[in-house]
Amino acid sequence: MDRFELRLQDYSLSEDQESVRDAFSQFFAKECPSTVVRAAEPLGYDKQLWHRLVDMGVTSMSLPAALGGDEATLVDLTLIAEELGRTVAPVPFISHVVATRLLAAAGTDAELIQAAVAGDRPFAVALQPLRPGEAQLVPDAAVAGDVIALEADALVLTSADKASPHLLNQGSTPLGWWQPPAGAGRIVLAEGTTALALHARAVREWKLLTAAALIGMTEAALALAVEFAKTRETMGVPIGSLQGVAFPLADVAIGVSGGRNVIWRAAWMAENEPGVRPELVPIAYANATRVATHGTTTSAHMQGGLGFTIEADASLYFLRAKGWSVLGGDPNLDLITVGDAVLASAAR
Amino acid sequence: MDFSRLELTADQQQFASEVRAFLDALVTEDVHEEERRTGSGFNEHVHLALGERGWIMPTWPVEDGGAGLDPVRKRILDIELSRSRVPHITAGTTGLVWTAIERYADPGLLEDLRRKVASGHVRFCLGYSEPDGGSDVAAAKVRAVRDGDEWVLNGSKIFTTSAQNSQYTFLITRTDPDLPKHKGLTMFLVPLSAPGVEIQPIRTYGGERTNVVYYGDARIADLYRVGAMNDGWSVLHGPLDAEHSLGGESTGLDDLSIGRNFLRPLERALDAAAGWAGSARRADGSVVADDATVRLRLGKIAMDLEVGISTPGPMGRVAGSEALVRGGADLIDMVGPAALLSHDAEGTVAGGTIDYAHRFAQGTTTYGGTVEVFRNMIAQHVLGLPQMNLPGRRVFLVPRRAEQTAGARV
Repeated sequence: MDRFELRLQDYSLSEDQESVRDAFSQFFAKECPSTVVRAAEPLGYDKQLWHRLVDMGVTSMSLPAALGGDEATLVDLTLIAEELGRTVAPVPFISHVVATRLLAAAGTDAELIQAAVAGDRPFAVALQPLRPGEAQLVPDAAVAGDVIALEADALVLTSADKASPHLLNQGSTPLGWWQPPAGAGRIVLAEGTTALALHARAVREWKLLTAAALIGMTEAALALAVEFAKTRETMGVPIGSLQGVAFPLADVAIGVSGGRNVIWRAAWMAENEPGVRPELVPIAYANATRVATHGTTTSAHMQGGLGFTIEADASLYFLRAKGWSVLGGDPNLDLITVGDAVLASAAR
Repeated sequence: MDFSRLELTADQQQFASEVRAFLDALVTEDVHEEERRTGSGFNEHVHLALGERGWIMPTWPVEDGGAGLDPVRKRILDIELSRSRVPHITAGTTGLVWTAIERYADPGLLEDLRRKVASGHVRFCLGYSEPDGGSDVAAAKVRAVRDGDEWVLNGSKIFTTSAQNSQYTFLITRTDPDLPKHKGLTMFLVPLSAPGVEIQPIRTYGGERTNVVYYGDARIADLYRVGAMNDGWSVLHGPLDAEHSLGGESTGLDDLSIGRNFLRPLERALDAAAGWAGSARRADGSVVADDATVRLRLGKIAMDLEVGISTPGPMGRVAGSEALVRGGADLIDMVGPAALLSHDAEGTVAGGTIDYAHRFAQGTTTYGGTVEVFRNMIAQHVLGLPQMNLPGRRVFLVPRRAEQTAGARV
């Protein structure tokens, strides 16, 4: 890798991107206050909110124009995911959009894609390759009867009447054990190296969007802690004036600002020059999991005992920092692949 | 948003090749060897050669001694200078000072200095920190007292890096101890050749040379005052903000923060460790690079690097510096005792690159404003947290220790 390569370093959003971000920021702020998040627990799915989000066009916007999409980019999707994370909205946006894009990339017939775009039936993706006879925990499997999985070297969409039973879990997400149910409809979407490549791409996209959601979640948790630190007093001064409080919060802000930008750079590269610097996606994801764990922990802690209560909204963020991120597996495994990229580059 | 490769025109391509060839010939192994030995951050032959091309102040018009470079050519030059590892500290401080004096210094003095700065014959250093206080620049105690058309300077400055390479220091002085802290300061461009100015070297374990500069009844003409008397804080703010990489809009061409510079030694150390791991063997005969703990740690450092590159402004300054501190230390552990060997020692790993990164890292958390100063800025200006009400925030206080020893020194 040429570390002195002349590349633009332009992290600015276009006017269109700013409008997308603002529109979804307003949407989630209005439609998804913490009361909605709490009401959707423990399943972590608010059907009405999901339908309102589908009405905003999220299921089709990143599809090619030929499929009725607006050709929105991965960067645009990360903007939406970040706003969704800010309110920890209980909707299967990430799974569903990644699955829909996967159907489109596999050249699935238009009718099926339109069914996914309609959003009446949430779709999910099994992130790990399937092992025969073994179930795996699939994000959103408790609300999605339609799951795309890699079975040996075939990418298969399995459509069941019913979703998997929901499992109570730390992050209150629609997590379920999943394996292809007997008698369910099966469509082979792709085979061989194409299937492997398509699945790998879907996993990358899931990680990118989840990373963005984690950054939004962390920034929202930080905002709660900052507000608390401005007004809560100890020994006659606001606790936020004390460096023992201010500095850890500054560290969260540092993590959020770099975390967001590295996601944008990874998303931009994946969109425009896939195959160049592919390690940026695992970097962005592993970093976001670190930022979210550290940021939501710190933000809760700065609110003392109150931040440890379920009543405090800080708890919503803390519980989802792991609840959303670990669905993609151990981020250290992602970092090992990054290490391999460093080794390969040094060997050249 | 755009991270694409810069599409260079044929002319720009030609310029890039020219710059690289020029620097390859100029920044020789002898230059690197001298820098390792002296830690001077400067090589006069190199500096003057760059000045001859107009590349000290590359965006200045040619008639002022610059090269009239457009932003793309400026970026090409910057990145090639970085690649060449040219000793650049003195050039850096010179640029920072010029930003301030250009607005406030005597016009005749400026005219006299402009071409000499551009040609490389005149260099500047920063006279901010004092032995009694580091990060709190506005607490400066060096006294300047007016005597007719002259000023008499007394006191000392520390960490005046590049003083030995410079003709002038940009000095912050106290001209009225009775005024509120920030109101009693005045800036000067002090000729270092003035009688009464004495430069003493200090060495760091990062390899750098810096200095203490003593001012004992040093007399300078009023011509060298920069800005109005007691208005020093406003004069200082330009270069201080530039040094803190605050303010300016991103051009989309340049790095997001000064933290980028701190990541360069980490890149070299990471690549050196990865190269080593690919061929080195454990006692059991296995290749180090096959060890998952090694692959994980290389990946973590690469993550810190990329995140650092993408972290803006004051946040990036902290992220970059601390990534270097963490990464350098872990790479030493990974490689083991061979990582500690000096550049010329037998069996050294990549010429002591990792050893250097670990030592160099420690200064980066302090100079140019400590990471704590930056965390304060982030807490107050980014997060809007309240400022602590400290006794010396607005009032000029002489540190207690200094009060006790003041008699002895003066």
